Amino acid sequence: MKPSRIRIVISLFIFTLFLLLFCGPEKISSLLSSVLLPFQFVPALIRIIANPKALSVIGFISIILITIIFGRVYCSFLCPLGTLQDLFIALSRKIGWRKIHSFQKPHNLLRYSVLCLIIVTASLGSMSLLNLFDPYSIMGRMITQFALPFFLWIYNTVISLLKYFNIYLFSKDTVSFVLSILLVNIGFFILILIMSSRYGRLYCNSLCPVGTLLGLISRVSFFKFTIDRTECSKCLNCAEVCKAGCIDAQNAVIDQSRCVSCFNCLCACPQSIVSYRSSVKNREGDSWSSARRGLLIGSIAAAGSALFMFNPGIRNLLRTAHASSNQLVTPPGSVSLAHFTQNCSACHLCVSACPTKVITPSFLEYGVGGLLQPLMNYPNSFCDYECNLCGRICPTGAILPLSLEEKKITQIGEVDLLKERCVVYVNNENCGACVEVCPTKTISVIDKGNILYPVVDNQYCIGCGACSRACPTAPKSIVVRTNPVHKKAVKNVTAGAAVQSKSAVPKDFPF
Amino acid sequence: MTKMQKTDRREFLKKGLSLGLAAGGAVILGKTDFLQAKETEKAIPDLVAVKNGEPDAMFKKAIALMGGMEQFVRKGQTVVVKPNIGFPRKPEVGATTNPLLVKTIIESCYQAGAKKVYVFDNVVMPTSDNSRNCYKISGIEDAARAAGAIIIPVDDFSYQEVTIPGAKTLKTAEIHHLILDSDVFINVPVLKHHGSTHLSIAMKNLMGIVKNRIKYHFAGLEQCIADFCLYKKPDLNIVDAYRVLMSDGPRGPRDEQALNVELKKTLLMSRDIVAVDAAAARIFGKNPEDIGYIKMGHKQKTGNMNLNELKIVTYSM
Repeated sequence: MKPSRIRIVISLFIFTLFLLLFCGPEKISSLLSSVLLPFQFVPALIRIIANPKALSVIGFISIILITIIFGRVYCSFLCPLGTLQDLFIALSRKIGWRKIHSFQKPHNLLRYSVLCLIIVTASLGSMSLLNLFDPYSIMGRMITQFALPFFLWIYNTVISLLKYFNIYLFSKDTVSFVLSILLVNIGFFILILIMSSRYGRLYCNSLCPVGTLLGLISRVSFFKFTIDRTECSKCLNCAEVCKAGCIDAQNAVIDQSRCVSCFNCLCACPQSIVSYRSSVKNREGDSWSSARRGLLIGSIAAAGSALFMFNPGIRNLLRTAHASSNQLVTPPGSVSLAHFTQNCSACHLCVSACPTKVITPSFLEYGVGGLLQPLMNYPNSFCDYECNLCGRICPTGAILPLSLEEKKITQIGEVDLLKERCVVYVNNENCGACVEVCPTKTISVIDKGNILYPVVDNQYCIGCGACSRACPTAPKSIVVRTNPVHKKAVKNVTAGAAVQSKSAVPKDFPF
Repeated sequence: MTKMQKTDRREFLKKGLSLGLAAGGAVILGKTDFLQAKETEKAIPDLVAVKNGEPDAMFKKAIALMGGMEQFVRKGQTVVVKPNIGFPRKPEVGATTNPLLVKTIIESCYQAGAKKVYVFDNVVMPTSDNSRNCYKISGIEDAARAAGAIIIPVDDFSYQEVTIPGAKTLKTAEIHHLILDSDVFINVPVLKHHGSTHLSIAMKNLMGIVKNRIKYHFAGLEQCIADFCLYKKPDLNIVDAYRVLMSDGPRGPRDEQALNVELKKTLLMSRDIVAVDAAAARIFGKNPEDIGYIKMGHKQKTGNMNLNELKIVTYSM
């Protein structure tokens, strides 16, 4: 099998796994998230910086090592957005929009300034730019926005058809569309569609921070694609299949920093003059690369110093102050508003996975500094008491895993009972919708003349929002107020007093 | 063709077929007594109360005292058995109907010749994930399936709007189509404490066959509960008072260790939904007069809460 075929098979397989990760059932999602996502560059990096986990460290180091040894194979094999672009490229070739590729000049100024800007803003506490351009997160958002609703629609349609055959299955709740986020996603989809179908892997070599960073490493990688200048007949076959547009066949030079190691050129060369081999015997320096050396060193220095700045003090600089006054509640396990906004890459995996769909993407709610990061969408839904899935699947550590026991006492917010709106207080009629659904017994009732008035004891509250969802008034009479730093709730076990399983059944009927 | 039309045609065919079959069957088997049902009804007591047995044994005794399941379910009929599956709690908590009782009732329906038995409840937080949890954790899904019932996951599209004659507050309601389409409706609530209405029994259990239960809370919970019974009274109410949640209802306490349940080992059965609620309130230790919706139901002549006026058959096992 040709190496480019192997690449296609592997990358399509991994792409399918990504679809399953976002659209599959809970068990598959959490399994795939634990094995697949430590090997995604940005999630692994964020995870290591704030809350190191063994597999993420291994994953991140292996990505770096692989790049040092083999070049940017990550971009062609592991990156889901890379595969999506390859699909677009193949499509555009099929329909004849762009049959052949050709050498493109590098957009060095653009790509290095985007990378530097992203590193600087991320260091100062705003993940927005990184989140916008991180390939994994873009892919995650696209799957959540486009693929998941499609699969759910098919699933639910099949279920509604099965009813006619007396087979009854549970349908799945669908994700709600938010226009602003839909527009962002459509925008990126079109951007990537046009870029890839017209210019191949241009995104990876201009805007993608991961591509640029790995490109810096792949310049010095051990294995490289090289053209034997003395024997090359300049047939341009290799340049025509190069999606990255990095082969200057006229001069028989390959721009290593932009090569995504797709192996196309290797298979296209009629004389096998393009080879993929060790570059230990460093031959005479490429003329153009020396001119960029200053920039290279500069970028590495900037990256290095920026990494040093990854400490909470500095990272608060760009943090949006009004986020906490906005009453935004972050998912259980996210420790605090600051922790969440500074670690979330907005991949929306939690949005896809959340069974009650209480986690929904935000647009500007967290401010410019926290673009697209998810929030708890009260009172449209509520956080299921028996679920801790978001923490189990979050790849960046923005939502840290909690055991179900811990989750049940993690207070992400408190409730506020607004007596001036509450049906019971206003109309003196029984309602108790909030009392019924409260899983923690935060809300109890006081019986005054056979009317049961709800009262709140917030020490037990975990801020799940079930009460708010159940409340029949509009606007709601009971609302969740955020805890900018999550707290521990007290377990309410007093109510039941002693176990009264009386075994002696009264002898007579009371009528 | 739209879905609506399809459904209509199906329903029409179904109804036509079942009517034909029922009539034909009745003639062939010579069982035309349902045409003179009045005669047998006199023998049925207003209320049957059984105690000191296991849920299945108590049910079998009670239904025998009622004159047998055949009084309620005829050959070839479709039946809805509506337990309380409102919360994702284990059977021990007493927040949901005893699964063994549900199973025994379904089996009894089939023995009486039922064609199909449906089981469903519109749970309290009706997301599909939560209803799945409720069905599973309550043990009712497995029990009902074992007995051969069809478990219906409720969705937003299964309801039909109806007007309620004589209602004070709840003038219209969207009701599950299976209740309208099935021949027999058996209400199987659990008796438990309730934080909004003091008690949840048979009348309250009917909130699980309407779509927008939150509307009740807003409009006046107890009046709505009473009003709905003006539209639909179950053919039979079977109250599970085997293991009674005495406080922290309707959901039960946060921790199962802190359960406040009493083993009352009682089962009540009646066609009168107000009477059965009144009797259950007494079992719980409350005065029916204090429960708003029972009083309202009595006032609206849905049933009789004055137990001393009723023909009650009791049995202790």
